[in-house]
Amino acid sequence: MESNLVEMHHIEKKFPGVTALRDVNFTLRPGEVHVLLGENGAGKSTLMKILSGAYEPTAGEIVVNGERFERLSPKLSQQLGISIIYQELSVVNELSVQENIFLGRLLTVRKLGVTVVDKVRMNRETERLLGEIGLHCGPQTQVDALRISEKQMVEIAKAVAFNSNVIIMDEPTSSLTEEEIEQLFTIIRKLKAAGKGIIYISHKLKEIKEIGDRVTVLKDGEYVGTHNVSDVTIDHLITMMVGRELQNKYQSATREHGGQTEVVLEVRNLTRRDGYVRDISFRLHRGEILGFSGLVASGRTETMEAIYGAVPVSHGEVLLNGRKLRIRNTYDALNSGIALVTENRRETGFFHNFNIRRNLAIARQLKDSKQGGLYGLVSPRQEKAISAEQVRAMQIKCASLEQSITELSGGNQQKVILGKWLAAGSQVIIFDEPTKGIDVGTKSEIYKLMRRLCEQGVGVILVSSEMPELLSVCDRILVYFEGRINGEYAIEDATEEKLVYSATVAKEDAQATA
Amino acid sequence: MSDKNTLPGEKLKPKKTFSDYWSKYSTVLIMALMIVVFGILQPQAFMTGKNLIKIIEQSSITILLACGEFFAILLAGIDLSVGSTMALSGVVSSRLLGLGWNTWAAMLVGIIGVGMLLGAINGGLINLTNLHPFIITLGTQSIFRGLTVILADSRPVQATGFAQVFGGKLFGAIPIPILVALLVASLLTFFTLKSKAGRNLYAIGGSKQAAWFAGINVKRHTMLAFMISGVCASLAGMVNIARLASAEPAAGTGYETFAIASAIIGGTSFFGGIGMIPKVVLGGLIIGIINNGINMVGLSSYYQQICMGALIILAVTLDRFFGASSKKR
Repeated sequence: MESNLVEMHHIEKKFPGVTALRDVNFTLRPGEVHVLLGENGAGKSTLMKILSGAYEPTAGEIVVNGERFERLSPKLSQQLGISIIYQELSVVNELSVQENIFLGRLLTVRKLGVTVVDKVRMNRETERLLGEIGLHCGPQTQVDALRISEKQMVEIAKAVAFNSNVIIMDEPTSSLTEEEIEQLFTIIRKLKAAGKGIIYISHKLKEIKEIGDRVTVLKDGEYVGTHNVSDVTIDHLITMMVGRELQNKYQSATREHGGQTEVVLEVRNLTRRDGYVRDISFRLHRGEILGFSGLVASGRTETMEAIYGAVPVSHGEVLLNGRKLRIRNTYDALNSGIALVTENRRETGFFHNFNIRRNLAIARQLKDSKQGGLYGLVSPRQEKAISAEQVRAMQIKCASLEQSITELSGGNQQKVILGKWLAAGSQVIIFDEPTKGIDVGTKSEIYKLMRRLCEQGVGVILVSSEMPELLSVCDRILVYFEGRINGEYAIEDATEEKLVYSATVAKEDAQATA
Repeated sequence: MSDKNTLPGEKLKPKKTFSDYWSKYSTVLIMALMIVVFGILQPQAFMTGKNLIKIIEQSSITILLACGEFFAILLAGIDLSVGSTMALSGVVSSRLLGLGWNTWAAMLVGIIGVGMLLGAINGGLINLTNLHPFIITLGTQSIFRGLTVILADSRPVQATGFAQVFGGKLFGAIPIPILVALLVASLLTFFTLKSKAGRNLYAIGGSKQAAWFAGINVKRHTMLAFMISGVCASLAGMVNIARLASAEPAAGTGYETFAIASAIIGGTSFFGGIGMIPKVVLGGLIIGIINNGINMVGLSSYYQQICMGALIILAVTLDRFFGASSKKR
């Protein structure tokens, strides 16, 4: 058997307070596609950053081409023939294909005693490379003019030009179409045939079965195992990824759902003008908390933005209590009683230049005025009454209403944002990752509050990437995959395995294999 | 109130820091310093009641421009076209006067027809293109100036009628331009502090994204802000033609610098969302004091530019480190 291109033994990486990797082993043979699989935060990126020299491991050793290292630097890693292609491509849009490929190591020639750039040779070389990977464009084409899939091919060409034997691809298909993926796979097969080793990071299990030779699964920074892809089923992979025994659902007692209950919010065939989500339809019943699961950027947040009027919609309807809404902008949404607690508290949730009072009262003030808040005067008395009431109801810990919101803890800031929507009498509240970066105590307070709102008749939607959170809070969970709803589970039937399955395997493929 | 909301042992006392004091009193402090310096250097001429009223009168145009500029900067933007707007509205009104229009009607068209319209053009272009106001107003600054020169036939346009409106003095002591500036500043102070639209403008300045997600129609408010800026600039234009009894096509050239400087020295944060009209008025007065004081001391007016430039940089630097916006992140 041939020797391994890369061996990583007992790798450990500690960050202050957390161990990101614990005793992880990984090997890469020439001419294979080795898939690295795991949930968000499992440690895949950290492991690859160690291999590309961006991080130093706290323990363990790396063997490249038989040579032992305790750690690598980016430069050393490159010299050893390791290239990484990040999800966010690092091509320079303003330069040509050729300049990108030879960026930082232009070929030169001595002419009349002066070293100058050897354009002729670079041109020839680029043409050869482009032909090899099947990208049909001239060496002088500006990268700006290329599609994302083509830019990715430029990156691959760059890796090949570096004479890389190891190419790491971080979720390479996340923004490619069906056809472009096929093209990419053709290139990968060519690279394989040339004896190069590919490390392939992806969440899409179907792809893994198609392109992968071996698969290594990581979970919470730990090594779960390595298998030949042909030996494992998708279900097996999911079990390895999730891996934990089902925790007891710690809140199922108070739940009642008859399916017959009235519909609070109904969404029909919602499609964004930018196409990020297409034909979304679902119903939110009174008294239930509806969860939205799926990978990051699978369309959950994008759907909520569309319902809330924050982005243009090309078609579709939103009905609140059976009444069709006309939502052209966020003000219409606010006015109709829909609220969105955004994912990014600091950027889109509160106003850093406002005190607690102003932050709590602004939505109510807008709602009470006409013309998108252009008319009307601020009533300090009303403002104080509104905000004092919310501070009490939400138990916001603050010195006074006049305190700047930036001085509060993340949890209390989140409570202010919630209070803002409650003061505006919202009938449907959409929570997008509401507990991100919030301490455990406040987390459970927020869950309780969601349940209480729900019992009071407010429609509650929870978008979350944390499956235990969804499983313990929601009554029903919808799962997104590539911009559409790919699965629906009543809480009794929902398991982490099922959620991961629906988030990573298209419905049609699932039925085909079943 | 705080006792009810706070759990025992968790009572937070907001500590007053240097930063808090600085963001509150920096403008007044700079102004006091200027008065003291010039008062010492030139006690007889500078510190007279007559001279102080003269300073305020000379500052009224700057104050009017700065009050408008304040709204553009409040939205973390800028309006470079205020000087050109001032000139164009002046020339239009003077032309109408020349056609035999009634003084008040000509003025109204200059303010509403020209000032508000040019502001709406700025706001509309910013909304349409999503470009930074710097680019848009840099362009319109040049466009409006070009229109002004064409309309004026590159000559001053006679406008004696306006002197009657603005030339007088209240109680024989307070010049009308001061009253106009004070009135505008008071109205806008009320608007920013008491109206919902004013509150929304602060919110947008704090974070456009957050404002949009809170249900504020950001585009309409952007439009509003630049329209206010246009109206203020055209008012400055009226005061200016009244003072000179003619509309100069080159009037107000470079005045945007005065306007921006006043707003910034008056504590308006360049990062948006923070500032107050009364302090902007003080900022305008500081510029006036520098101009007047340097004159009195007998230095050439070029030193005004140096002094003002240094003050702009100093004010923003101090704001960056000690001002309210330093707490932003």
